Amino acid sequence: MPYKIISPRLGEPGTEYDAEGATANGINVAALVAGGFLEQSTNETPKPAKTNSKNTPKD
Amino acid sequence: MATSTYLSNPNVTVNAVSLQDQCQGLVFTRTIEALESTAFGTTSRSYTAGLENSTLQLDLYASFAASETYATLKALVGTTTTVSWSPSATSPGTATNPTQTLTGAYLEIIPYTLALGTLGVISVTFTGGVFSVLEV
Repeated sequence: MPYKIISPRLGEPGTEYDAEGATANGINVAALVAGGFLEQSTNETPKPAKTNSKNTPKD
Repeated sequence: MATSTYLSNPNVTVNAVSLQDQCQGLVFTRTIEALESTAFGTTSRSYTAGLENSTLQLDLYASFAASETYATLKALVGTTTTVSWSPSATSPGTATNPTQTLTGAYLEIIPYTLALGTLGVISVTFTGGVFSVLEV
């Protein structure tokens, strides 16, 4: 699950946090979230606008 | 020269959070438990190395603001984490400024006292874990 840095005490705010690597190094990621240093990022990509092929002009 | 001037200005991180500007004291005690191995026929006691059980005590100002001391520690009680420190914040991880780390250190309690007219201090002790040194 991707996480985004909130606090500059942890790193550059807005950048993604390597939670898996941190956990492997003994970092308690849940405590960072509880303390307000990290937040789960949704990482959703916007859906493309629907196009109606019936209305497209023919050549 | 027998001595050198050293201004203590260590860098400290708790659970990857830098608390250098909240820390005013640090005591690291590296302990490897002594197991007695004295046997018959000897005239003095002898010991061998047991388990490592080092501790790191930090004296931190009791700031309850966002992203400060209490926010860093509050969810760590009863869990293990990684704490690291180096003698200076400038170019850590070198032979003359080694970065030392306790990985998997346990935080048992968060004691603090608040008194009128003084800055509160939270003294926490991280116990156990694996000790390592980075000095490239």
